[in-house]
Formats: sequence, C-alpha cells, structure tokens
Amino acid sequence: MDPARARLTWLLIAIVGALTVCPVLMLVLGSFSEGLTAFGHFTTDKYVQAYTDPAFLEVIYNTAVFVLGTSLLSTLLALFLAYLNTRTDIPFKFLFKVISIIPMMIPHLLFAVSWALLLNPSNGLINLGLKEAFGLGNAPLNIYSLWGMILVEGLLELPIAYLIIAPAMASFDVALEESSRVCGAGTWRTLIRVTLPVLRPAILAAFTLGMVRSLASFAVPSMIGMPGRVNVLATYLYEMIATGFATDYGKAAAVGMSVLVASVTLIVIYRALTAESERFVTISSRGFRPSVIQLGKARMPLFGLVGLLSFTLIVLPVAVLLYTSLVPYSMVPSARAFAMMDLRHWIGVLGDPISLLALKNSLFLAVVGATLGVILSIFVAYVIVKVKTRAAGMLESLSYLSFSFPGIVIGIGFMWFFVQTPLYATIWALLLGYIATYLPYGIRPMSSAFIQIHSHLEESSLVCGASPLTTMRRIIVPLLIPGIVSGWILMASMFVRELTLSVVLSRPGTEVLAVQILRFAEDGLWGKLSALGIVMIAISTTLVVVATLVGNRFKVA
Amino acid sequence: MEIRICGVSKYYYSEGKTIKALDDVNLTIPANEIFTLLGPSGSGKTTLLRCIVGLEMPDTGEIRIGNDVVWSKEKNISVPPEKRGLGMVFQTYAIWPHMNVFDNVAYPLQVRNVPKDVIRQRVAETLRFVQMEGFERRPATKLSGGQQQRVALARALVAAPKVILFDEPLSNLDAKLREETRKELRAFLGKLQITAVYVTHDRVEALALSDSIAVMRAGQIIEIGTPKKIYFDADHRFVADFIGRANLIKATVRADEGGYTVVESGLGRIVCQHRDLAIGSEATLCVRPEFIRIVKGTGQAGSNLLNGRIESLVFVGEAYEAEIRVGDEQLLAKIDPDAHLNEGDDVSFTLDPAHCLLVAL
Repeated sequence: MDPARARLTWLLIAIVGALTVCPVLMLVLGSFSEGLTAFGHFTTDKYVQAYTDPAFLEVIYNTAVFVLGTSLLSTLLALFLAYLNTRTDIPFKFLFKVISIIPMMIPHLLFAVSWALLLNPSNGLINLGLKEAFGLGNAPLNIYSLWGMILVEGLLELPIAYLIIAPAMASFDVALEESSRVCGAGTWRTLIRVTLPVLRPAILAAFTLGMVRSLASFAVPSMIGMPGRVNVLATYLYEMIATGFATDYGKAAAVGMSVLVASVTLIVIYRALTAESERFVTISSRGFRPSVIQLGKARMPLFGLVGLLSFTLIVLPVAVLLYTSLVPYSMVPSARAFAMMDLRHWIGVLGDPISLLALKNSLFLAVVGATLGVILSIFVAYVIVKVKTRAAGMLESLSYLSFSFPGIVIGIGFMWFFVQTPLYATIWALLLGYIATYLPYGIRPMSSAFIQIHSHLEESSLVCGASPLTTMRRIIVPLLIPGIVSGWILMASMFVRELTLSVVLSRPGTEVLAVQILRFAEDGLWGKLSALGIVMIAISTTLVVVATLVGNRFKVA
Repeated sequence: MEIRICGVSKYYYSEGKTIKALDDVNLTIPANEIFTLLGPSGSGKTTLLRCIVGLEMPDTGEIRIGNDVVWSKEKNISVPPEKRGLGMVFQTYAIWPHMNVFDNVAYPLQVRNVPKDVIRQRVAETLRFVQMEGFERRPATKLSGGQQQRVALARALVAAPKVILFDEPLSNLDAKLREETRKELRAFLGKLQITAVYVTHDRVEALALSDSIAVMRAGQIIEIGTPKKIYFDADHRFVADFIGRANLIKATVRADEGGYTVVESGLGRIVCQHRDLAIGSEATLCVRPEFIRIVKGTGQAGSNLLNGRIESLVFVGEAYEAEIRVGDEQLLAKIDPDAHLNEGDDVSFTLDPAHCLLVAL
C-alpha cells in the first residue's frame, strides 16, 4: 500500500486505540489499585471485597433474570411482529415501520419514567384509577419490581430485535417453505420445522444483542429497579460510585471487569451469529412474493394487538409526560385535572439555572460531539472499507470494540483516566467519553455509504488529475453526504439523551439533560422532570426532522 | 506517445499463496495506435492497464510513457495517477452520480485550474465530438448506458491526454448497443491522433477495434500482432483457439512442397500454410469452422479434398453448425443456411491451404 494511506491508517489506529483501549486499561489498573487518586501498591483487595460481598449474589441473580427475561420478551415480540408483517395479510403495514424506528427517538430514561408514572405503587395513574374504580386500599400493580423492569426494558429492546429479525424473515427464499408444504406439512408444522430453524441465527443474534443491551442498560434499572430496591449490576455499580453513597471506585472497577468480560463475550457471539445468519439467508434475485397467510377472523384482533403495542411504545410515553408536566400533582385524568392544568412546572424548569446549564451542555455535546465523531468516522470508515491491509483490519476490530462496552463500566474506566488529567470534571471529558463510546454508531452508516461508492468513481478522479485530497473533497464527501447526515443524526440524538456514561462523568457544572432528569426523579419532582423530558424529546425529534430535510436535498437520485 | 513496459511483475498474496498477476511483462505499445490487451479473465490484462495508469504498483520493472519514467522499482520512481496525464474509461464508466454531464466532463480541467471560459469551450467541443451536445445540464443519473459511455469518453479526452486507456468499456452494454458503440468508438478514435490501450476479453471487439492485439494468459503476453495476423496466422495454439473457434487436430510434418508445409493427420494428408518445422516433428493443425467449404459432387483433387459424414446439424440463424466425422476426427463446420443437407449425409469438403494453420503444441 502507498505510504500516505499507511500513515493515515496508523494515525487512526493511534486515535481510536487511545479512545477505546485507554479506559479499559485504566479499569484494569484501577481494579488492582488502592484508590482513585493514588494508585498505590498492586492489590487484589478490591476483588476480594467485591466478590465476597453477600449482596453480590442477589445482584447477580437479579441481573441474570432481568437480562434473560428482557431478551426473551423482546425477541418473542419481534418474531411475532416480523411474522405478521412479512407473512400475513395484516392491515396497515406501515405501522411496523413506525414501531421499528420511532421508539429510538424516545429516550429510554423517559420511557421508563412514563411507566413509573403510570404504575408506581404510591401514585401511579393506573394504580390510582384502579383503586378508585374498585375501591381498593392498596395499589394492585407495582412496576418497581423485577417483572416491571423486564416489561419496560423488553419493550425498549423490541425495535432493535425487530430490525434484526424482520429483514431476515423478509429475505429468505420462500421456496424453502413451499417445498415443505408440497411435502405435506401444514402451515404450523412448516413454521416449526423450516421457518424458525432457518431463521435461528437471526433470532439468536437478536437475543444476544438484547442481552448485551440490557446488561448495559442503566435507565430502566435506575428508574424502576432502584425505587423497589431491585439492584442489577449496572445500578449496583452506580451505588458504589454515586455521590451520597460510600464511593469506592476500586471495587466498582473490580465488579466492572466481569460485566465487561461478559459483554465482550456476548458481542463476539453476536458477531459470529450475524455472520452465520448472512450465510443462511438465501435471497433469490428473481422477483419472488412470499406467500401471504390469510389471517381470516384473527386479522382484526391481531391488528388490535399491534395497534396497542404501537400506542404503548410511541404515544403513551409522550402523552404521560406531557400530562404530568401540566398537572400540579399526580392525579387520574379527569375534568378536575384538566381544569387545574397550568405551566408551573415548565416555568420552574425554564427558570432553573441547573436545568438550563444541563440543556446548554447537552446541546453543545450533541453538536460538537456528533460533528467530531462523524469526521473521525469518515476517516475510519474510509480506511476500513477502501484500504484492505492487515492494519485496516486491526482498525476495524478496534473501532467496533467499544460497541461491546457497557456505558457505566467504561465510564468508571474513563473516571480512572480523567482524574489523572486536567480534563477531570470538564465538559471535554464527557465529549471524549461520548465519542469513544458511540464511535461504532458513526462508523456503521459511514462504512455502508463507502461500500456503495464504487472504487472506480474514486480512481477515475485520480486519473483525471485530481489529487487525493481534491478527490476526497469533490467526489467522496459529496457522495457520502446521505451517510454523513444519518451518522450525524444518530450520534447527536444519542448524545442529547446520553445517561449511562454521564452519570459517572458528570460533575457539578457539567450536568447534562439525562442526569438532570435522573436527579429530578430521585427528588420526586415528576412535573419538572416531565417538562424537561418533553424538551429532550423535542430536541431529538427536531434533529431528525432537520437532518432528514438536509439529507433529502443532497440525496443522489 | 509510446509506452514501454520492461520486466514488470505484479504479485498478489492470497491465503498464503502467491499469485503472479503479471509475470515479467515486456511490451512496447507504439504511438498513435489502438492497442488491445486481449485475454481470458484472470490473465492480467486489467492489472497491466492499471499499472500503466498508476492505480496499481508493480513489484518489479519499469514503465515509461513517452520519455517519462512513471514507474521504476530500481530508480524508486512512482508517479501517482493524477500526475501521469492520462485519460481512462472505466468498465463501470464511473460517472459521478452527484454531478451533471458538464461537471463530469469539466472535472479534469477544473482540477488543473483551467480558466472558466476555456473550460466551457473545451467541454462544448468535446461533447460535440462524442455527439452529446445539449446534454450539459443533464444529471448523470439520467443517462442511458450508451450515453454514460460517451460522457466517460468525453471526460477521458477533454484534457487532451497523451494516452487513453479503456478497461472493458463495452462489457456493461447489451449486445446490440455494444455493436453500435464499438463502431462509434472506432470512428471516434480514428479521428484522433492518440495512443489508445484497450482491455477486453471479447475477441470480436479486439479484432474490430485494434491496430494491434496482444494476447495474454496467466500474466504473460503470448503473442502480439495485427488482428489479421492473430486471426489467420497465429503462432500459438492458445492464441488460435482463443481468438476464434477452431478445430485443433494433431499432425506430423511430412514434407515441405511448393511453399506449403504438408502434414499427416487424422484427416489424412493436409497441405498447410508454410511453417519452418522439421520434417517428422509434431504440430497442431488448426482449421476454423468457417473455412470448411462443402463442395457439390466431386471437387478438384489436390486442394485438401476430404470426405466425411454429417453427424449433427444445428440451425443457429446465420448458418448451420455441423459436426462432420472424418475417420476418428470430428470437425465443427459452419455451413451456408441454404445448403440442403441432412444429418447422416455423406459430404465432400475442401480446406484452403492458406487457412490451414500449423501452431505450436
């Protein structure tokens, strides 16, 4: 390879390596150290302390139930929806697209909050309603439990699982099913014997990714688990480092190590599974039409179920937040409640200097972070896709490494690092952490954009006499604009809502939106929380709308 | 401008094996000719072209374009493609989809900082030359395959390159359009005084377009010559077989008579084009199907008159393809579609000695 490309490759390996490997190294180092500011002597004390703690066993049990339950729920729901969409005559199929995309715009934290507002035992709206209706003394439902966490997290992971399973189901060769039918097997038997086994890699991939994501999830465990004293690893770690508790970063690092190992292992399995599922999927290029199963009488009830699910996933959280932000205290929607509505929570939030600071910080991080992240992603994706050397392969592995890092664990690693630098407690620490953790989300759309650019387009520019830089500016970047825009939106909207890394790295003065919302929840300020949450959703949505408009303008026909 | 390639090799490493994409290639491409590199896929023709244009770097050797050394392993010279001043038409045309026709064609001039009014004039001239005037504002994505091909040609020509290179430029077109475009391309290139290097695996394209053809196999150049030389008078069995359909029959040289070489073969005694071969040596007799002439009744003796039986007869439109058995040999023959013959008929045919080629084993 020519020296310029080789130099670029090694430069990127250095940058990405520093961003992803450094927090892991610091985590390892920290787990064997005496304290956050002074490493001290090598010691295994923290491991002994962490793993002999009697509470630890219960945390592990909770985590296992939570992670497995969540993945099972989301995978089954996704399978059900994907089958309905691709194989049956269910009406209004556009709803499935909505289900798979819109929930990503609603931050997990707020989704969890809205369920807490509905089903918490003291003043959850549904509980209040049920108590009134049936004259009950106690709240019949309690979201602050393991099953509540599984329900909410499962719904949150549904879109991702759907996005993995639906394409696999849509693209597999129907002749496989048809031949089973011809052989005499009925619809149900064909489903069990042929369809599901062929889809097995995709289903397992969705399940594994669900496990990784729920293992790393902090929003639901903190919002729904912690009030009910149900700790999973993420919240257990948080309690070790959160101000107000007895902080112990060494012990946190020691526990974090096993979370990290589990997560990395799962991701390795996931990548093997997706590779296998690509091999399994047999797209026939002939214009085939999957045979559509007539649902008959079940059509409307099933559609009702899908409708309910989309309502729960999209409308409900926003509606609950909006309602809560307007009523003075929790009450069942009624004429009286609507009469009492006012803007006191909104005025309160917009006059609250810390909330405004959090808003300002989040916007800064979203705009600057996404821009820097996308620029880095462009170069990394270019090398990964277009420079096929061993070093480029190394860069690829490095850059997808952080995909498997649970936010809170990597946050602890970064903490060990930033404490040694002047970046500690500055917004730049958050910025670096965000870019490092979310880099794969920028690289992914960028590499698929690069893959679509045939190398001849680039080579012909060189032959025409343009330098590599001119070629980048005039040919590659313009062709990448759709990819750049979608990468930017994805990163910016993730940064606006970022919680797991922020709860570790955020300090007074560097509050961000999600952390501020968490604080409101801890203080029970549901009205203010809802108002700020609506602001957060509005920013996310605006980002997506503006970026889509920009993207359309540059769209290559 | 002349291109000289000396001792160029290029290796690829794949799964622990070394593949010689180019194996010590020595070649001089004369100035102002249409020179074709012809070969089956994997023969190294595209790699050689990409080495000339600078998109690949050879592992050994030297490449000169005119008087400039653009690549030399020994002298450590490597001129990047953008500094070589060449024009190239890619297999995919590589028309940039985000630009219109004007910007695509103007690009080579824009990157050379040519004044705007000169650019406008040159682009207009070039588009007129490829018969695409009036298409300046057309978005690149709204062009047909043939139009894309012309825009690609215009872009390759606009900066008046010393050499223009074509990498299988017609392979993405459908059969009918390919034929028309081939004729056009011939006409365009005929009007220009330019060295053109053309890569193809299509023998008809090579024969129709070229002044000279170099036939390649496994990273090596097997034979160079004019289309007629390659077709009628190839020295190598591989070349004779690759350039057209051929019946290849084992033969032994028996005599050298009256400017002809006479061989003994499965067909009997055949008078062939003269070759300097020792009496008694082995050779391969190559007879193209279209030079097998059916004679009515009994033909004149002495000019390779043979008798055989038609084993199969397939109507393919412009001709019959017949398999004629002569002794143990089976010959593929192209017969006039109006010949009244049936399978199983006994036929007599002649082979013109001028079209009986002897090629090396």
